[in-house]
Formats: sequence, structure tokens, C-alpha cells
Amino acid sequence: MQVLASVLGVFDISLDKLSNGELWLAQFFRGLSDGATYASVALALVMIYKSTGFINFAQGSLALLGVYLAYIFSVEQGLPVVVAVLCAMVASSAVAMLVERVFIRPFPPDHVLPLVIVTLGLLLIIDSAVGIVWGFRTRSLPSMFPSGAPIEWGIAQLTWRTIGNLGTVFAVVGLLYLLLSRTKVGLAFRAVSSNLESARLVGIRVGPTLGFGWALAAAIGTLGGALVVPDLLLEPSIMLRVLIFSLAAAALGGLDSMVGAVLGGLVVGLARNLLVTFLDLSELALATAVAVILVVLLVRPTGLFGSTRVERV
Amino acid sequence: MRAMEAVAAGSRQHRRRQVIGWALFALVVVLIPFLIADTYSPTIFGNRYTVGLGNLSQAIGLMVAILGLNIATGYSGQLSLGHSFFVGSGAYLTAVLVNEFHWSYLSTLGVVVPGLFVFGVLFGIPALRIQGLYLGLLTFAVAAVFPSIIRLENVADRTGGSNGLLIDSDLEAPTWAPIEKITEWLHAIPGVGARVPDGLTGRQEEAVYKYFLLVIMALVCFWLVRNILAGRVGRALVAIRDNPLGAAANGVDLAAYKTLSFGISAAVGGVAGTMLAMHSGFVGPDEFGFSMAILLIVGLIVGGAGTLHGAVAGGLAIQFVPHWSSQTQTLPGTDVALEGPYGTAILGGLLIIIIFALPGGTAHGFRRVKARLMPVAPQPPTG
Repeated sequence: MQVLASVLGVFDISLDKLSNGELWLAQFFRGLSDGATYASVALALVMIYKSTGFINFAQGSLALLGVYLAYIFSVEQGLPVVVAVLCAMVASSAVAMLVERVFIRPFPPDHVLPLVIVTLGLLLIIDSAVGIVWGFRTRSLPSMFPSGAPIEWGIAQLTWRTIGNLGTVFAVVGLLYLLLSRTKVGLAFRAVSSNLESARLVGIRVGPTLGFGWALAAAIGTLGGALVVPDLLLEPSIMLRVLIFSLAAAALGGLDSMVGAVLGGLVVGLARNLLVTFLDLSELALATAVAVILVVLLVRPTGLFGSTRVERV
Repeated sequence: MRAMEAVAAGSRQHRRRQVIGWALFALVVVLIPFLIADTYSPTIFGNRYTVGLGNLSQAIGLMVAILGLNIATGYSGQLSLGHSFFVGSGAYLTAVLVNEFHWSYLSTLGVVVPGLFVFGVLFGIPALRIQGLYLGLLTFAVAAVFPSIIRLENVADRTGGSNGLLIDSDLEAPTWAPIEKITEWLHAIPGVGARVPDGLTGRQEEAVYKYFLLVIMALVCFWLVRNILAGRVGRALVAIRDNPLGAAANGVDLAAYKTLSFGISAAVGGVAGTMLAMHSGFVGPDEFGFSMAILLIVGLIVGGAGTLHGAVAGGLAIQFVPHWSSQTQTLPGTDVALEGPYGTAILGGLLIIIIFALPGGTAHGFRRVKARLMPVAPQPPTG
């Protein structure tokens, strides 16, 4: 016991902390809550990746724009928060469709590098446009869920917000599943993401279908942002930080798997909260995300649930 | 302008034209610091813009940073969004060595270059298994992490944590440097001389000295990189970028060359970091975060990926576009001041416009204009 304590002492870990069950549970719940928010942005990334085969670095920025719109609708126009978020989802998907039509569609979809660079340019433009319009003052957006905690156990609280966040993410996955498997546009979407050329040959209008993917991703991203922001404060750089964790989540789950994105988000959220608490690594929270990405890409590049890419030479 | 007659490549005329071009370039490089030692500030549409020697020196540092990125991304085609990590590491290595061990700036290169080379190779090893987008994703995350590594408690008393680190040593112009004399000569020239100040203050002299030091370092870097890329290594890297499979089939060792490209890229990035530290005498964690990583990509694309001239244009662009944008107090016809985030937005717009209209970057556009105005007829190799 003595030896163990001294080994742990090197890492600044105290046994008291490790044997504190309430602390574990509290961090577990916080991890779930964070994880749900990462998962929702990761879902948006997966949607884009599935449809277009590249990572949209502007995803966080579109979500940021959506969250600011939600702020305008709810705090300034006085709409109920849920309605405001729904309106913002619609508005941001309209913006995303426009962006896709103007900036993305002119490029051949199989040439990835220019597209990624365009999304980097969009990231710069949208983020600074948000800064120009709304300034860098921090604001607070009310949560969509009531405050308080139905389940309390010492310092560990399972709040309504955590439950709401988790419920929202699972509902989104369920709805997406229905949308993709039961509707015509979903079928078209899956066809395009499976094989663009064949989809075009059988008469699917590829462009609008990809635009639909962008709109859907922006709506999900906005929803994710609306889940994130009540925990933090709303300011223009907020989504960039979330984007890193969500990229880690998406990479962990496999970039093209929705279930993977959700599980990846939860794992990253839990890992972040538990590691930071028990190893005292508050500055290294981002580094844990990077470590997750690195290990996953090295050991299992397709992630936990991603499909293996077969290339014919 | 009417186009000149085509000259044969390698002919006497062609060589003369090249020599004249380089001489003009050298003349501009030498004259500029004296011309803008009193910060040059033209007024356009009621806005006062400045072109200071400090901005120019910073731009030179950024050029070398883009040059480094160019090796991994422009030439061997591996999307690296984490180049700021190497630049930051170089800057911090220099800062710590100068502050704690009282090394001179230039001698820190003896540690920065090999250190960053090894670092880049280590970084390149996982990059072997990770390609394209995934590599972009990983490097993006690495860039984001750099500031928090600097702020770690264990190293914060050495790196200065969030406050950054002021570097003790000043780069004062040595007594043998004839900066004062050159100023006098230039001032004596009728016409142009009026722009050159009568004499330099101590700070101006220091700025001019730093500028020349940075120019020489940059020239050495460009020359070395040019030589590396003109030979076997460069051909191998371009082959990997254009068709990895074909390159492998022709006997290019993909793994070795990819890691090598990351190593060289990181080493050059480290030198850029040293140069930026020399220029400002200060290093801060957030300077080298992912905003710099993205800016370097912007510079690379705007200048022209896979060209050496592009790094020069790109460095100037990412230094001066935000700088001038923030100095635009009133946009003509409106009362909008382009301060703060406008600069970034303009760079983002520039990036997209370049990708749309001039995929090869400004270097490519420049080359096309030059080929139109001063055509050179290629000659078949002899022998």
C-alpha cells in the first residue's frame, strides 16, 4: 500500500481521491454530459464525411453561427429556447446549403485537397464574421432543459441537462437512422455516399443530395452547439475547442459510423473528465484528445465501427 | 505592354536577363531597409498604412516557415496543418537556450536544426500509416495542443507559461557593420536619397541589422532547400505527391522519403521559429497555436504550393494583409473600420478566391505573366 501510494505520488495522485466513489460517479456523469455534446458535433462531421469523403473543418463554424442565431432568437427575440434552437437549425442548414452550392459544388468531388482547403477558408471567414457581427463579449445561452438534478448521490448529480443531452443525441441518431433507411432522399444519400459515379448513372441528382447532407450536418452541428454552450460561455472561439474533441470522437468511432460517433463521443468525454480529475492534467485535456486520435489512427485507422476502405489499384 | 522576342533557354541573352533580374532583386532587398527605416506610411483614401521594417522582418520569418511547410505539403503532398508546432518549438528552444544558458541566437541553431529534424522524423513515422485527410486531422489536433504544452505546470517556470517569455539578449548591430556609412552614402544620392534618413537612431540601426541577419538566414534556407529539392530527393518527393504507387514502383522508398520530408520540413520550421524569436525578442504560447497553423496553410496556397517563390509571396501576404486591414479606419464610401477579425476574414476570402481562380497560387500567375512578356524558348538538352 505504501509503495503504491508513493508511485501514485509521483503522478500527484492521492489514494483518497482514487477511493472516493462519489468523485468517480460525479466525474462519470460529467463525462457523459460532455460526451453527449462531443457526440452531437461528431455526428455532424460523420454526416459530411459519409456524403463527401472529406472532413469539413468549417463544421464547427457553421455550428457556431447556428448557436449565435439561437442566441438571437431566444435571448433577444424572446422565443422559448427549444423553438429558438429549432429555428436556428433551419437557418443554419439554409446557410450550409448555400455554402455548399457556391463554394463546394464547383470542385470535382473526388479531388479532396482543394475542398479541405476551401473549408479552412470558410472556417476563417465564418469565425471572423461572427466576431465582426457579434463581438468577442461572452454571452450565456440558457439550456433547453430544466435545471436541477433528479438523482443525487453526495456530490455526484445526474442533472436534467445530462439526461437531456444524452436523450437528444440518441434521438438524433434514431431520427437519422429512420431518415436514411426509410425515405427516398435518405436512399439517394446512401447511394451517393456509397458510390458517387454509379449513383449519378442511375439518375440520382448528386449535387442536391450532397447539399442535403450539408444542411443536415449543419442542423445537427447547431443542435450540438446548443447543447455545449450552456456549460461554457458563448464566444467566437468556443466551437474550435469542441471541434478537436469531436474530431477525436469521430476518429475513434470510425469516421463514417453514426453509432461510432456517439460511442466515441461518450468515451472521449469520459476519458477527458476522469483523466483530468485523477491525474491533475487540466492543461492536458486537449492533449488527451490528440492522444486518442493518434492511437486510433495508428492501431486501427478505421476506428471502432468504421468500414474498411477497399481500394482497387 | 508588348511581349519581347523569345530567347533560347541557356543562351547568353537568357543568362544576361536572369543576372539582371537577380541584381535588381538584390538591389531592392538591400535598399528597402534604408528606405523604410523611418516607417513608410502612404495615405490611401484617407487611411494611413504603414510599412515598417519590423513587419518586413516578421514576414521574412513567416516566409521561411512557409518554405518548411512547402516541403511536406507542397512538394511531397502530405497535408500538414500542424506546422506551427515546429515553428513554436524552434522559437521556444531558442528562447530558453538564450535566456538560461546565455547562448547567442545563431548558436542556438546548432540545437534547433538537428533537434527539430529528429522531432520531425519522429512525427513523420506515424504519418506513414496515416494519409491524406487523417494526417490533416492529426496534425490539426497537434497544432491545437502546442499552447497547452507550453502552459503545463512542470515546464511553466521555464517557458513562462501563459505570460510568454521575454528573451534577454538584444541583437545590437556590431561595430564593424557599416550601416551608418551606407546610410550616409544613400542619403547623399540626389533624388532617392531624400527618402533615406540623415542618420539612424540606435533602434533603427538595430532593426536594419536584424533585417539583414534575417535576410541572410532566409537566403541560406531557400538556397539549401532549393538544392535539396532540385536533386534526387526533390524528384522522389514530387513523385510521391503525384503518384505514390508509381513512385514506389520506380524504386522510391516511400517510408524513408516521407519521414525525411517531415524531418527537413520541421528543421526549416524550427529555423523559422528562431528567426521569429530573434525578430520580436519575445515568445508567447498563443502565437504558435492553430491560428498560425491555418495562416501558414493560407500563405502556402496563396503563394503557390510546390514553388519556392510562393513562400515569399505567401509570407508577405499573411503578414501584411491583416496588418493593413487593421489600419483601414474607414473603407472608402462607408464608415466601416476593418479592424480585428476583418483581416482574418479577408485572408479566408483570399484563400478561396485563389483556389477558385489561380489554383497554382500567385507564383504560378506571376510565372504565366512572365512567360507572356518575356518568353523563353526551351532548348533540347545537348550531349
